[in-house]
This record gives sequence, C-alpha cells and structure tokens, in this order.
Amino acid sequence: MSGAPTPDECRHVRLHVGADPHSLPADVQAHLATCDACRRFRDETLMLDQRVRAALELQLAQFRTPAKSAPRSRRFALAASILLGVFMAGGVWLLRTPPALAGEVVEHVLEEPDSWDARTPMSPADIGQVLDMAGVDFVGDVPVVYAAPCMFRGRHIAHLVILGPEGPKTVMLLPHASVDGRRAFSEHGLRGVLLPAGTGSIAVLARGADVPADLEKALVSAVRWR
Amino acid sequence: MNPRPGAASEGGPITRLLETFRPDLLRFAFWLARDRAIAEDVVQETLIRAWKSKDELKDPAAARPWLLTIARREHARLYERKRLPTVDVESIEALGDPALAVDGDAGLTDLRGAILKLPAEYREPLVMQVLGGFSTTEIAQELGLTQAAVLTRLFRARNRLRTIYGLTPDEEDT
Repeated sequence: MSGAPTPDECRHVRLHVGADPHSLPADVQAHLATCDACRRFRDETLMLDQRVRAALELQLAQFRTPAKSAPRSRRFALAASILLGVFMAGGVWLLRTPPALAGEVVEHVLEEPDSWDARTPMSPADIGQVLDMAGVDFVGDVPVVYAAPCMFRGRHIAHLVILGPEGPKTVMLLPHASVDGRRAFSEHGLRGVLLPAGTGSIAVLARGADVPADLEKALVSAVRWR
Repeated sequence: MNPRPGAASEGGPITRLLETFRPDLLRFAFWLARDRAIAEDVVQETLIRAWKSKDELKDPAAARPWLLTIARREHARLYERKRLPTVDVESIEALGDPALAVDGDAGLTDLRGAILKLPAEYREPLVMQVLGGFSTTEIAQELGLTQAAVLTRLFRARNRLRTIYGLTPDEEDT
C-alpha cells in the first residue's frame, strides 16, 4: 500500500482492526502509518477493547449472589406453575418407579459404550478420585477397569466397570436414588439389577448375562455413602 | 478398591488443576449461555468430560484453552441434545442479573448488556477471542468457519458495541 490510501484499502484495514486490533498484519500496520482516519479508528478500537475485556471479566463474588427477584406478574405465574408442578410431580413420582430408574440407567450406559472396552485395572488413586467426587466409599477386591464421575439425575455419581470371569459389568453407585427392593430388568440387550443399598441404590448391568448373586452381595457390602 | 475409605475429599492433582479453572469456565459459559443456571450445568459437564479425557492433556500449561474448548462444545451440545429454546433478546434473564452492574460505571453495565444482546454468531467469537484468548485461526477451526468469516463476525461484533461506547460505527457494517 503506497501513495494516498484508497477507500478499498481503508475498508480492508478497518476490517482487520475491528476484528483483531491486537494482531495486525504488516500491510495493515503500514497503512496505519499513513492514514490518520484509520489510525484514529484503531486507537478507538483499542480503547473499546479494553472496556470489552473489563465488561467480560465478571466478578465471581457478585456472580454468585442470587439473581434479582422476579417481577410481581412473573411471581404469580411462578406460583401457579409451582402448584401445578406439585400436582404433576406427585403423579410423576408415583410413576417414577424402579423401571423408570432402570431405563435411565440403561440410557446412561448406552451413552458411554467405550466404557465396556476397558480391560486394564485402574489405579487406586484414579478410582479414589471418582469416588471422592461422588461422595462414596467402595471397598472390595473386584478389579475396576473403568471409573468415571458422571452426572445422573443432576448429581455426581460413580460409574464403574468391573471385570469378572463372565466379562465386564457396569456398576453405578446411586446415592440419591432409592429402591424398595431388588429389581431385575432387561432393556436394549442389557440385563441388570437395581439393588437397595442404605439410602441409595446400586445398578449393575451386564450384556446378555445375569448378574451373579454373589456379586450382588459383594457390591452391596462394599458401598458406604459418605 | 478405595485406597482411602472415609478419607476427606481433596481430589487428586488433576482434579485440583481442573477446579482452579472453574471461575474462568463459569464466566466463559455465562457469556455463551446468557443464563447462570445453564452456565453452571455447562461447567459441571465440562469438568466431568475433561476428567474423563484427562489423558489428552499432555501439557498442564494448555489446560485453560483445552477446558474452554470443551466448555464451548458442551454448551453447543446442550442446545443440540436438550433442544433448549433460543432466548429472545428482550427477555434475556441475565440482563437483570446483579452481577452485571458496576457501581459508579454505568457505561460498563450498559456495555455488558449490549454484549448480552449481541447475536450468538457475533457474541461467541468475541467471547472466545477476548475472554478465551483464542486466535482468529483457532476460532475459525473451532466454529467450522473460514478465517474471513470470523474476521467479519468479530468486526461486526465490535462495530455494534462502538455506539454503546459513544463511538461512530463503521459504515461498512452491512
């Protein structure tokens, strides 16, 4: 770019300045050395960028305060929806029996198909991290080949795969989902069982095979919710 | 199986490393989602996904951009999978969020409101660049756009914010 700047050159320069004012190509910088209007545009953009950066840097202390209360009209709507929700939730709760839980467990497992492929026992430290995040202790001798913290029904849970003589089995430790009693299920080629364990439950799933009764007992006795 | 049954929950080095970025992630996710609750969900999912993929992180120094990339994808995935409704500009809840207010600097508060009102196609690359520190090349790669398209979007984002700052928008913003 030499001689008097042309409108096309200025357009090109302003596009770069407006897009990435801190990283300008050499031809743009050369243009800025000769064009007062574009240089002013660059200076303004740099000042604006400082403000944009400051605007984006929200203070977390403020960020964590509760949001402002809803306007009055919205509060009525909210109250009505809560009442409706309570009635509906009552009905849903009655329907949300172990089969519903089993379906959610199966759906969750199907979303992590790679977990079945693991064959190498994980280190106690790695397993411990997952259990810590889920708030559970799991004491036993079963080889864990996969352990991951997962979100389930809005809470952290431990998703494990253990490797036994009959192949891998998924074990999900569910501190916030209780079941009245042992419940076997079969969905999408997976056979499993929901086991009551204190205030929570354990889901055990296998592909095309039943879960051995001795394994069920071992798992229940291995779990301690924190 | 648990090496420390009943032990206090402190987490391992990787967990602690990930947790140090939680504030950055929350801020980043908030500007993408424009909703505090959704941002918190995105951060939760991001940390879990990062933990599962922790072997991919070869250099701890690269943790921040790595996590922000995961967060951006989690945010996109959330809208794809849960089919969350897109938010009408005039009904953005976050506009009333006290976190946006800056005592004694109404201009900055207005600027935050203006950023929230930017269309996602302009807001997302701007937040990635200014807050996330991504280059335009990285943004283009992440968003599946040409670099020229990213430059145009960033230019238009800033051009719309110029009026809030009392500057004349460039006439080329068409």
